[in-house]
Amino acid sequence: MKFLITFTQLIVLYGFYVAGEWLRDFFNLPLPGSIVGFLLLFIALLLKIYPLRWIESGAQFLLAFLSLYFIPATVGVMQYGDLFTGKGLWLIAIAMFSTLMTMGVSAVLSQWASRRRTDERSL
Amino acid sequence: MNLVLLSLLFAALTIAAYLFLNTLYLKYRWTLLTPVLTTTAALIVILLLFDIPYERYMLGGQWIGALLGPAVVALAVPLYKQRKLLAQNLAPIMLGVSAGALVGMLSGALLAKVMGFSAEMILTILPKSITTPVAMQLADSLGGIPSLAAVFVMAAGFTGILTGPWLLKTLRIDSAIGRGIGLGTSAHGLGTAKAFEYGVEDASMSSVAMTLSAVVGSFVGPAIVWLLFM
Repeated sequence: MKFLITFTQLIVLYGFYVAGEWLRDFFNLPLPGSIVGFLLLFIALLLKIYPLRWIESGAQFLLAFLSLYFIPATVGVMQYGDLFTGKGLWLIAIAMFSTLMTMGVSAVLSQWASRRRTDERSL
Repeated sequence: MNLVLLSLLFAALTIAAYLFLNTLYLKYRWTLLTPVLTTTAALIVILLLFDIPYERYMLGGQWIGALLGPAVVALAVPLYKQRKLLAQNLAPIMLGVSAGALVGMLSGALLAKVMGFSAEMILTILPKSITTPVAMQLADSLGGIPSLAAVFVMAAGFTGILTGPWLLKTLRIDSAIGRGIGLGTSAHGLGTAKAFEYGVEDASMSSVAMTLSAVVGSFVGPAIVWLLFM
C-alpha cells in the first residue's frame, strides 16, 4: 500500500514536470521546464491547492537518490577528456575563484542584512 | 532485442554501481567518496575497458536521466517545509542569494569571456554555483554542455567546502544565516553538507539557499547570456 502511494506520487511529480515543460514551450520561456514545474508545485503547496501529504513520500523517495539521476550525464565527461589537459584547466581555476567571490558576497550581505534588522528591532 | 537487453544492462549497472558506492560513502563519510564522483569514475573506467561508446551506454543511461526533471520538481517539497524559516528571514536570504547568484554567474562568465573561451564554454561554466540537476538543465537550455557543466559544479562544490571555513572566518561571518547562505549559494549540496558541521540551523539555511539560488539562477542566467552576447 505504502509503495502504491509513493508510486502514485511519483507520477504526480512527473505530471508537474511535464506541465512545466509544456508551459515553457508554450510561452517560449527561457527557464528549464523542470524549474517551471518546481514553481508550479511550490505555489500549489503554498496556496494549499495541493496538500503536502499527497506528495511528501514520493518527493522524499525521489530525492533520496538525487545524485543517481545525473550520473548518466556526468559519464559524458569521457567525451571531453582532452579539454582538461591544456587551456581548459583555466576554466577550473575560474570556477574556483568565482566560487569564493560568490560565497563572500552572499555570506557578508545576508549576515549584514539580518544584523541590521535585529538592531532596528532592539532600538 | 539485443539492444534492449544491453540498454537494460547499462541501466542496471549504473544503479548497482551507485547503490554500492553510495553505501561506501555513507559508511566512511569521506568527501572524496561522494557518489557522483566515484560512480562516474567507475562507469567511465568500465566503458573504456570494454570499449563501449558513450552513445551506446546512454541507450540505457537515458532511462535513469529521465528522472532528473521530476527530481528537480520534488525540491519544492523541502523548500515548502522550510517556509517558516524562509518567511522569517526573507529579506536577508533573498539579498544574499540573489547577489551571490548574480556575482557567481557574472564573474565566471566574464572571466571565461575575457580569456577567450568559446561561447559554448562560457554557457557551460555559467551555472556552476547551482545544484547539479538544475545546473545541467540550465546549461542545456542556454546552449552549453550539461556533462561538462557538472564538472564545474563539482569544482565549485569542492572549492566551497575546502576553502569555505577559512573564507568565512576571514570575513568574520559568525552567524548561522551568514555561513548557511554563503555555503549554500556558492557550493550547493556539498556546501550544505559542510554547513551541517556548524549546526542544524546553518544546514537549513544552506539548503534553502541552495534551492533558491537554483531558482534565481534560472532567471538570471538567460539575462546574463543576453547581456554578454547581444
